[in-house]
Amino acid sequence: MPSTTNISSKGLTRRFGDHLALHPTDLEVGPGVTGLLGPNGSGKSTFMRCLVGLVRPDAGSAVIDGVTLTGDGVEIRRRVTYAPGELALYGELRADEHLRFLLRGREDEAFGRAKKIAEILGLPLGQKVRSFSHGMKRQLIFAAAMAPDVRVRILDEPTEGLDPTKRSEVLELMAEDAQDGRTILLSSHHLGEVDAICENLAFLDGGRLVSVENAQRVRERTSQIVRIWWTGGAPKDAVQVLSSLGEEEVKLQDDHLMIHLTSSDPRPFLKRLGDAPLPAPSAVEHGRISLALLYREIYGVEGV
Amino acid sequence: MSRSTKGWLFTLLGYTLVLEMMLAAAILYWPNFRDHLGAVKLLSKPLPVLGDIIAQVESMGVAAYVVGQHFFKGCNVLGAAAAALIGAAAVAGEAQRGTLEIWLARPVTRLRLASERYLSGQAVIWLGVFLTTLTIPLLLTQVDEIMRLDRLMLCALHQCLFLGAVYSITYLISCASSEPMRISMGVLFFMIFQFGIYMVKTVTHWSVYRLADIEVFHHILVDGVLDWGIAGPMLAINLAGFLGGYVFLKRRCP
Repeated sequence: MPSTTNISSKGLTRRFGDHLALHPTDLEVGPGVTGLLGPNGSGKSTFMRCLVGLVRPDAGSAVIDGVTLTGDGVEIRRRVTYAPGELALYGELRADEHLRFLLRGREDEAFGRAKKIAEILGLPLGQKVRSFSHGMKRQLIFAAAMAPDVRVRILDEPTEGLDPTKRSEVLELMAEDAQDGRTILLSSHHLGEVDAICENLAFLDGGRLVSVENAQRVRERTSQIVRIWWTGGAPKDAVQVLSSLGEEEVKLQDDHLMIHLTSSDPRPFLKRLGDAPLPAPSAVEHGRISLALLYREIYGVEGV
Repeated sequence: MSRSTKGWLFTLLGYTLVLEMMLAAAILYWPNFRDHLGAVKLLSKPLPVLGDIIAQVESMGVAAYVVGQHFFKGCNVLGAAAAALIGAAAVAGEAQRGTLEIWLARPVTRLRLASERYLSGQAVIWLGVFLTTLTIPLLLTQVDEIMRLDRLMLCALHQCLFLGAVYSITYLISCASSEPMRISMGVLFFMIFQFGIYMVKTVTHWSVYRLADIEVFHHILVDGVLDWGIAGPMLAINLAGFLGGYVFLKRRCP
């Protein structure tokens, strides 16, 4: 539970026809970066849209920066910036004109700050948006969302479609922003993409909030996992041999073995693996885990 | 200049220019038309409704010809098309191109968004009609005729209420839909059908174009006042279209 709560939802629920897109969701988010993680269709965008009043919840309530969500949510949107996940922009506008469009209703200084962020990201502001790549459009929306002087930012997949360099730049800008005491709730369906800057991680699946975890604890858990591949699949006696090495758990996955280490330092295990009577592995992976595996292996939840 | 202002200005310019060209051509053709009215009357015999129109021109002269050409023909046809296209794109256009979310996500109330979008569309339609109507007296001097501008402006107001009603209904549907092409085609087909049945003697009274035809405009020209029996309900449809659209937009998800 965060010490200061800037985003609070209680029983927030949304149904589209017969489909319950968001089950009653309670979540409290404090300053810093919180990652909202889940596969496609898990309800991340619906939850975020409910928070900013773009989608009216069927039940429940939300309070952001001290303002309760009511009506069309405009009071919330004045105190929050929101970067949508959908990437549809007005192609006929120049990038700087588009920033002005996106920043309507914000303080005058926001435009200057947005231009500065866009320049840091290397966006050509004089060009028509229709000439922009997917990643450039994403960065333009990001620049507009990071510019206003508000205390809460809600960013739906801000790193989606970005190359690794740009992703790092964007994450760095978010981390700096959070250091100023702001609250950032960002969504992603790739754990490895955003967990580095997150202090907390909330996991959604099938419209349900599965778990809220301290990111450091998740990182420790994932650093205790090693996965090993062999050409042609795992040797028949691999599970038996590796189980005898004293590790917590050894499991045969589809085409590889997953080992839960007793500590987060993999070196002793790797040394023992080198001495074990097994053929040389084709790949060894440590400290990385997909969202699917995280659900399955750590939370015992299927469905990704 | 903002994106939307530029877009509206271009639309207004195009719409007004075409209306004005149609009007100028019609007025400059008046002497020729007047001189061959007998032949035109003969040609219109198979179509009794058209015959009625020609008879009105014969009895009322240039006034019936001008309101017939400008309001009944030009504005009713081009204006209805403009109303259908502009109204259909108002909100459904944003949904279709995927920009509805960024349009709604800004800290602007939905009432304001709905009002701005509605009024800018109405402004294009109304300004086109009023600006072209303003030029009628000047154009008439070219054919040695005169008409009172104040009466013509009343006719323009009536015409705008009619076109505004078409626009408002289209706008309302647009606020609830994501398919501007279907909406505009539907409204256009409906209006063409209505124009078609206007010309059929047995069903002409079912046509909405009865609300803005030469007879209606002639009364306005003669009496110098709007016929509130027709204008009132049209005004109500304008307001209802906007309010209904707002209700849909208020609950609309991106």
